[in-house]
Amino acid sequence: MHPVSGRLININPWRIPLFKKKIKLSLALVAAAALALGVAAPASQAVSQTIQVYISADTNIQDLWVKTLAPAFSAAYPDYKVNVTFDLHGTHDAQETAKITAAAVLHKNPGVDLIDGGFVTTLGAAGLLYHPNPGLLPNIANVNRAVLKAGLGGIPYRASSVLLAYNSANIATPPATLDDLLTWIKAHPGKFTYNAPSGGGSGYSFVQTVVDKYLTDADRTTLVQTAAPALESKWAQGLETLRQLNKYTYGQNGTYPANNAETLKDLATGLVDMGTVWSDQFASALKAGTMPANIKVTQIANPSLTGGASYLGIPNSSTNKVGARLLANWVLSPAAQNLIVSGTLNGFPVIPLSMLDPKATAAFTGVDIQHLRAGYLSANANDLKSAWATAVPGK
Amino acid sequence: MISVLRKKSGEGSRTSNGARTSLLGLALSFPPLLLVLIFVGIPILIGLTFSFGFTHGPNRVISLIGQQIHVKNHWWGTFAAYSDVIHDSRFLGDLGLTIFVTALSTFLVIVMALAISIYQRLIGGKRASILVTLSIIPLFVPVVISAWAIHTFYGGDGFMRSIFSHIGINFPTLTSTPSAIVIGSVWTALPFSILMISSGMQAIPDVLIEAARDCGAPSQKIITNILIPLAKTPIIIAMSFTAIGILGSFTIPLFLGPNQPTMLGVEISNFFSSYNRPQQSLVMAFIVFVAASGIAVSYVWSNVKSARESGRI
Repeated sequence: MHPVSGRLININPWRIPLFKKKIKLSLALVAAAALALGVAAPASQAVSQTIQVYISADTNIQDLWVKTLAPAFSAAYPDYKVNVTFDLHGTHDAQETAKITAAAVLHKNPGVDLIDGGFVTTLGAAGLLYHPNPGLLPNIANVNRAVLKAGLGGIPYRASSVLLAYNSANIATPPATLDDLLTWIKAHPGKFTYNAPSGGGSGYSFVQTVVDKYLTDADRTTLVQTAAPALESKWAQGLETLRQLNKYTYGQNGTYPANNAETLKDLATGLVDMGTVWSDQFASALKAGTMPANIKVTQIANPSLTGGASYLGIPNSSTNKVGARLLANWVLSPAAQNLIVSGTLNGFPVIPLSMLDPKATAAFTGVDIQHLRAGYLSANANDLKSAWATAVPGK
Repeated sequence: MISVLRKKSGEGSRTSNGARTSLLGLALSFPPLLLVLIFVGIPILIGLTFSFGFTHGPNRVISLIGQQIHVKNHWWGTFAAYSDVIHDSRFLGDLGLTIFVTALSTFLVIVMALAISIYQRLIGGKRASILVTLSIIPLFVPVVISAWAIHTFYGGDGFMRSIFSHIGINFPTLTSTPSAIVIGSVWTALPFSILMISSGMQAIPDVLIEAARDCGAPSQKIITNILIPLAKTPIIIAMSFTAIGILGSFTIPLFLGPNQPTMLGVEISNFFSSYNRPQQSLVMAFIVFVAASGIAVSYVWSNVKSARESGRI
């Protein structure tokens, strides 16, 4: 036997059964303790310090939260962690609404503390949201009262508007009113497009604007505020106008881009000279270089394209309302609003421009961001999308 | 006496063995059966009751949120949601397009898969192997990627139009047409059918083909009288899987098809999320379900037939 190996065997403690047993036992104890600690400690932290944020929007809003707001908030409040769940284009809005409704009925944790999505006002109307008050959320004092009231419990935190984008190389003076725009579309066949309203808000806004042209102010207000199936028959004239545009829009056989991104792509590649786009998506594309600099945006009048605030909602059943309130309050601070305005999103702020960095707000010249024409209540909007699909494409 | 006893005990042990095997079989098949029953069967049943206007119990929350909900007015429910869908001017167009695309795409897929498989079986060689390998590639490309690729290829500013415009031909824009859905469906469904049918053809013994050749049978006779009849089961399986897949497709018609009419897969999603009419979308889902079941019956029938022919049942 080799002397070294023989000695090794003799002194190797792992070869002694009793010692091995002891080590095993203590290892098991340490492991069990670590496991118990590991499970217990973060769990007790998780209840108070992780804020579950649910986002139902396009990818630019995902970037806003994941890359900009969440890291900046965690830097300001190191004790809190923001966990973002993202649902592209709000595909699961109905399920999420159902989940939160069911959680409220059954007094269970919905797993969400703060929501950013179109269905926030629906939850507000159903009385499922925590109503913000300036005592616990001091920064809402800076927000426009009417916009706050329209949220039905939702907290407005950014705004955006649909605008008319046009190729300035081919169009010297863009249409100033809806009537001018309709005349322009008919004079330039194949050069205008808007996406299917069920696929994205920019196309939806054009549809609602054309339909609104034939409605009284009172009817428009009703459709914004309450579900009004009785008024829907008054859409017929507007839908007929849209149907007549089928042979003049891009595609010329009544086909429309599937979503917001496709309208932007058609504008960028020069397939069309004019189209309706979201202000924030357009500004981001311009900054990223995917939209050529000769494409410009403008707003039309009589009526104008719609826009409005996006709301945050804190479900009543949330188990971390303190954290959610802290985050919502911080989002309304000038520091966070500057990030929304100047970051990759290029959104409109909800607090007065005088409180913000003047360099960041220089881009808003020419667009009135304080008076945005509101979109319909979601129930009416859903019916308008369906009515459009029945009356317009391919007819 | 002893022999009788022995015989009896032998018989007894054989029966208990058989019973044990069948019990084991049942135990093995029980978990997946239970899974399907709980996570597929029960939701389907709940959905069916909702489509008939049962708005309580598990359907309570969805009926609070959805629009145009019809509540039952008989003990068995109501046909109001079904009538909504059938009288909707969009539905017939959607159904027609769905059936047209499914039938045409399945036909094209099977014809192409047969051509490649027969070529490989009768002529073979390196070129045939390369062809089969190449035709499998779409299996490894995610559907959403290929849908966008086809979109940019046939779109208004796409490759085809650019190439043809150089030689002065105005190639039509195929995106937003049923043709584009057929192209996309064939692209995604072809690899599976080729795998299925070519392996079926490879299993046919050489002896049969050589014997036919020795008797002077032309290739056409060998194909129609030997290859296709002997590969019938894999052909029917490929056909039914392709048809069911295309019938319920969503991504391809969403990206490549027209806004309206559209295939039922897209319309179900529109009704469910964009128009918030869950009851009507469920009705359409059941119509697709019934159509798919019809196709599935042919699949099961061919499976049973082949099992009987090989003596397994």
